[in-house]
Amino acid sequence: MPRYAMVIDQERCVGCQSCAVACKSEWDVPNGSARTKVRQTGTVGHFPKLSTSFYVSQCNHCDRPTCVPACPTGATYQDENGVVRVNRDLCIGCCSCVAACPYGARYINAAIGKVDKCDFCASRLGRGLQPACVATCPARAKIFGDLEDSSSDVFRFVYCGAAKRMETANIAIGPNVYYAGKAEHALLALASFAPVPPRITAPGKVWGSFLNKFVYLVVGATFLGQAVAFFHQLSTGEKQFEE
Amino acid sequence: MSASAIQTVPTPLTGEQAETMAQRQIKKHHVAIVLLHWFNAISWLLELSTGAGLIVSPYYRFAPMWYLQMMEGIFGSRANMLRFHIAVGLTWTIVFLVYAIFGFRHYLRIEVLQHEIGLDRDDVQWLKVRTLLLFNRTKDPLPPQGAYNAGQKLFALLVYAMIPLIMLTGLTTSFHWFGTAIVAWAIIFHFFAVGMVVSGLMIHIYMGAVFPEEKPAFYSMITGTVDELYAYRHHFKWWRAVKIQEETWRDALRFKEAAEMPCTEERPDSKSSGNETPC
Repeated sequence: MPRYAMVIDQERCVGCQSCAVACKSEWDVPNGSARTKVRQTGTVGHFPKLSTSFYVSQCNHCDRPTCVPACPTGATYQDENGVVRVNRDLCIGCCSCVAACPYGARYINAAIGKVDKCDFCASRLGRGLQPACVATCPARAKIFGDLEDSSSDVFRFVYCGAAKRMETANIAIGPNVYYAGKAEHALLALASFAPVPPRITAPGKVWGSFLNKFVYLVVGATFLGQAVAFFHQLSTGEKQFEE
Repeated sequence: MSASAIQTVPTPLTGEQAETMAQRQIKKHHVAIVLLHWFNAISWLLELSTGAGLIVSPYYRFAPMWYLQMMEGIFGSRANMLRFHIAVGLTWTIVFLVYAIFGFRHYLRIEVLQHEIGLDRDDVQWLKVRTLLLFNRTKDPLPPQGAYNAGQKLFALLVYAMIPLIMLTGLTTSFHWFGTAIVAWAIIFHFFAVGMVVSGLMIHIYMGAVFPEEKPAFYSMITGTVDELYAYRHHFKWWRAVKIQEETWRDALRFKEAAEMPCTEERPDSKSSGNETPC
């Protein structure tokens, strides 16, 4: 079973937005939303030795995704090949996963009222094609492949090179989009667009903190009560004629 | 016996009286109610089993993994299961809406509801004694009850509060009504409301189908009738109301017979003569 990953070479990325455009047209992403975003980090250093970088963000298809358990209907799930996907038939558009994602990779598609995000172009992968953004990138800054395949480019970047995950000490959920290039580029991106702690939405909090306990308690207590009554009934036996 | 002579409190019955009463059936449920009850029961069975199979997220899940896999296997995919869940839920909602609209005058008017689900002093006492009796902690008699006992009334109150919530939250999540924020709350309250009904449902099923003293109530949901002895012992106030109706009807018949008697005797051919209302 393959384990898909992507490497973004920040040294090659020129911030041309081709990947964002390709993604939008491939997936009919509505205006104002994006599955893939290209953003410029701030600048560091002193003139004339200034340095800047581009941060290409999308779903990271994390090893331990926080969005999957947050989804109340199980619409968000992880394929065996590591790709985190959304089953639109099951999605109710409640936004729980949007809040749970530390990378802001998800959005609600207003046209259909359901959540949407990058799925590494799963349908293209099925046809043996590369994701649209990878195929489009004129600088070949996006590299896609199988981490289980030792001859793949991503394998070389991740295991033999110095590609980094966008992780902090607090938020380390194993993102599978890696960033290669100069170390300062990754640091710049991390400083500007650090992952935020996963949030639980207010309804999720209410359910998780007390409402679920209340429901279980009420159901459990009535079950126990009637179980006692039932055993009492069994032990006394039934009468043919009521007194 | 005339309507005014019917006893106001239950008295001990002689063997003969009890036997006669045990043989007589009196009507308790309209056929529409019987059908609706079993339609409701089947709907709930389907909705609970598919609903439990749909909640797979570790944060919300309560059914074991094998159950989730089994249900997914039966339906082929969870998307199919959800479609089925929504289809049954919609049918159930529509049937109950039709019932509410057409049965409003009979079943849902405030006077009827007050009589059917309003708790009086006897009911409060009944709840106390009934609970203690279950655990063999009292020898007090149960206070007389109306057509529905206090337990049934409490269950009805719970159900009347939760059913609209289940319908509304179900529709909201199915059709993405009112936008994202509301949908997120709706699914939580869907779980909550169903949980509350399930807790009452367990007692409802136990009392109806398993508990020995209420067996006739279970059969009444098939035949629509209960025997008079059961009615007398378990729903005395209702028995009395039925008796009063019956005796009033009988009195009226007697009065009519008595009034018509002399006319028919004097003029057997009154109809043919065209003089139909001589009395």
